[in-house]
Amino acid sequence: MLTDLECAMNSLIEVYHKYSLLKGNYHAIYQDDLKKLLETECPKFLEKKDVDTWLKELDINEDGALNFQEFLSLVIKVGLAAHEDIHKE
Amino acid sequence: MTGTLSQLESSIETIINIFHQYSIRLQHPDTLNKKEFKQLVIKELPNFLKKEKKDDQAISDIMEDLDTDVDGELNFQEFSVLVGKLTEASHEEMHKTAPHKGGHSHGPGFGGGCAGPSPSKDDQSHGHGGHGHSHGNHGHSH
Repeated sequence: MLTDLECAMNSLIEVYHKYSLLKGNYHAIYQDDLKKLLETECPKFLEKKDVDTWLKELDINEDGALNFQEFLSLVIKVGLAAHEDIHKE
Repeated sequence: MTGTLSQLESSIETIINIFHQYSIRLQHPDTLNKKEFKQLVIKELPNFLKKEKKDDQAISDIMEDLDTDVDGELNFQEFSVLVGKLTEASHEEMHKTAPHKGGHSHGPGFGGGCAGPSPSKDDQSHGHGGHGHSHGNHGHSH
């Protein structure tokens, strides 16, 4: 049986695949998939930067899509922002 | 936080809450010292970090690795790096244990499923627990 922490990590993998499986390569989140992801999962992240800016920032290997590792750097950014918010409240 | 959380947000909230459960115990309330980190690894990561990695020396090594500002404690940012690495390892393990069939599929990954409902509020979601599953059948294997 996995712990809550381990399940939360596996849940991040599920989130990735909700969008990466929409089309094309199974481990690629394309620009419009990223738009859906940001709108659904963390809409606040679209307030300061648009989808294209995010894609450019996260797409380290510049192949025009996010692989799992690139997605994880978004997750960490969302996590750090959420952690800051908790301490502000 | 109020309102309905997305699957991403609720997973992150779980991770933050667990970090705080341990970070608050001794000294600085928002960082993990070695003792707190060790407790967290043993209690919360029994499947993701293998047994041989849990002796004192191994825990110190992992901590040293993560402690990029070298203050002897792990802040949430440093802890996030571990979360990222372990999530990546879990994803790789799911692919190693995946059944060979068309489409995208995952195997059980690191032992066992999740207790209770997953934090997902999305009906389409499915657990990556103690069973393999595949996504779709439209071409493209890798």
